[in-house]
Amino acid sequence: MEKTMKRLERAFNPRSVAVVGDKMALGYMWLKSLAHFQGKLYSVQIDERELPGIASLGVKNYLRLQDIPDEIDYAVIAVPNNVTPRIIRDCIDKNVGAAALFTSGFAESGTEDGRKLQDTIAKIARDADFNLIGPNCMGIHNPRLGLRHSLDQTYGHSGNVAFISQSGTHATFFSLVGPLNGIYISKSVSYGNAAVLDSTDYLEYFGNDAETEIIGIYIEGVNDGRKFFSCLKEIARRKPVVIWKGGVGDAGSRAASSHTSSLAGSPAIWDALIKQCGTIKAENLNELIDTIKVLLHAKPVAGYRVGLAAMTGGQSVVITDAFTRERFQVPLLSEASYKKFAAFFQTLGASYRNPLDVSLNFPHLDRIIKSIDILSEDENIDTVVLEISVAFMKDLSWINTNLFDNMIEALVDFKKRCTKSFITILVPAHAEQEALEVKKKLVARNIPCFASFESGAKALRKVADYYQHKTSV
Amino acid sequence: MTADKIISIAKKEGRTALTEIESKKILTGAGIDCTEIKLAKTGKEAVTAAKKFGFPVVLKIMSPDILHKTDVGGVKLNLNNEEEVGKAFDEIIGAAKKHNPKAKIDGVSVQPMARSGIEVIIGMNKDLQFGPVLMFGLGGILVEVLKDVSFRIVPLTRRDAREMIKEIKGYPILEGYRGHEPANIKILEDILLKVSEFVENQPEVKELDINPIFAYRDSALALDARIILES
Repeated sequence: MEKTMKRLERAFNPRSVAVVGDKMALGYMWLKSLAHFQGKLYSVQIDERELPGIASLGVKNYLRLQDIPDEIDYAVIAVPNNVTPRIIRDCIDKNVGAAALFTSGFAESGTEDGRKLQDTIAKIARDADFNLIGPNCMGIHNPRLGLRHSLDQTYGHSGNVAFISQSGTHATFFSLVGPLNGIYISKSVSYGNAAVLDSTDYLEYFGNDAETEIIGIYIEGVNDGRKFFSCLKEIARRKPVVIWKGGVGDAGSRAASSHTSSLAGSPAIWDALIKQCGTIKAENLNELIDTIKVLLHAKPVAGYRVGLAAMTGGQSVVITDAFTRERFQVPLLSEASYKKFAAFFQTLGASYRNPLDVSLNFPHLDRIIKSIDILSEDENIDTVVLEISVAFMKDLSWINTNLFDNMIEALVDFKKRCTKSFITILVPAHAEQEALEVKKKLVARNIPCFASFESGAKALRKVADYYQHKTSV
Repeated sequence: MTADKIISIAKKEGRTALTEIESKKILTGAGIDCTEIKLAKTGKEAVTAAKKFGFPVVLKIMSPDILHKTDVGGVKLNLNNEEEVGKAFDEIIGAAKKHNPKAKIDGVSVQPMARSGIEVIIGMNKDLQFGPVLMFGLGGILVEVLKDVSFRIVPLTRRDAREMIKEIKGYPILEGYRGHEPANIKILEDILLKVSEFVENQPEVKELDINPIFAYRDSALALDARIILES
């Protein structure tokens, strides 16, 4: 374990990066993505036609890796696949910390030549104990250091969520969609065909990475399932792990095979693995993001009893349906709570039984806050869920100016004093623009919000299961 | 005879399928209760065994070439006296020969007829990526038609065993449906854990099927078992 940490430390926190083979045809995407890299950046390219383009980016180019008068911690290789064996040998010769092989056309091609070439480079790397990431991957992303693989990725800040992705697209999308939801990456890796280093190696690394508190995984297959199983089990005891398994069913397996040459395996066995390890299953990017949002920004979910506050009667019915479908209980409240409600809650056309139908109390922010305070203090409730009805709130701004901002401030204060998990559901209806604004503000204040009752209920359920597994034997 | 010994004999003989008698010996050695079983080569031997166990008994064909015993008329249940046992013996041998004249026939196994309980099955298969995986389900039509089964990767913890039992849709049946005798869940967990430990220590075992197990209020009994070795 210590060995893996050490091996990958240089790669995940490089002081120098070399890009081998970036070119005009790629739009110099690698060198451009690395424009804000905190360490030293070098280019290796022998094609003279590419040299002016590289020079115009202000990056010093060398004809061979070995010519660079500096240690190289991490290399990105984007050369044609027939040249890859030589470049990997150069990396070994140069004592490069690790290399990500962006080049594709290996085992995933399904051809004999592709498989052979992958075997060749894997053997070269293994024999030299060299850290080869990929092939067919985007490699490492460390936003703090500005080590990126996409121009749209944020940089200059650090996060606490690591992402291990067999797919480059999902690694990129997670890093782009995450920040819109208050999720920031510590480090991530897209590792493609896993010819040498596999998910287990990265898992071990992030399990021990002090910056990483939560681990997300997108995975299509695994080389050594038993090693992955025992490693995952051990790490999941210390850090929450959310797993999105790609390639279920026959057609999905076929896709996984031609994408990363993975053996997708039986969905039932993967489900068993996820349960046995106390990890969380996600079925798409949204579920992954939603689940991590609850883990990051809500207090530990202590049970399955929810207190639901909806703004209208119709919503109070369907919010209850959504949470009941995810097997939550929506219990009646304690007598003490009902007494507190009776003192201020306008019941004409409204109700405070749980679910709450706020209705006529709606414009009064203080009543809403008082209501969720009562829910959070009730002994029968584990999580408070509040609907934020953007469409109706928008229309009430003539009564209560700055209603949205006032509410968000009040919710920030509420979250501080509330000892239980708390989530919000933003219901935009037609007010999509306003909802987006409110969402941005909630995200900025670390208040978890969801796009629908269903997605909120689902994410909360997954996290409730996680804590339940963690706290029982 | 220990599991190692039984396995090495089978390997020497070039067999990958263990007989029901061998499989049950191994499982009994692993701490799993199985119905008693004796091989009878003649009708007379069958009657002697039946008298020793006490009636009623079950007779089953014992042949490495016949895997689906019921399908070929190779199983006779609920035999209540010497005459029925003798007749069943002849019928089973006759049916087996008719089904496959070339089949090597070891004889017929005799075992006591178990009191009926909730039918449960436990199986082990090897996954290409994750190695040995256990399966649990209710027996009979529920597993065959509804595929109401759960899986866990070996090694299992007590929690895994408990959760995989609870996970099946037919779980209320195990709790004792409408006044029926419930199954002892703790004992079923124990069996799963014993099977898990056994297959973890016996990499030679490729597949294992205990089907059915009768689950009772305070015990559980394996009625049939089949072990396949790696070739």
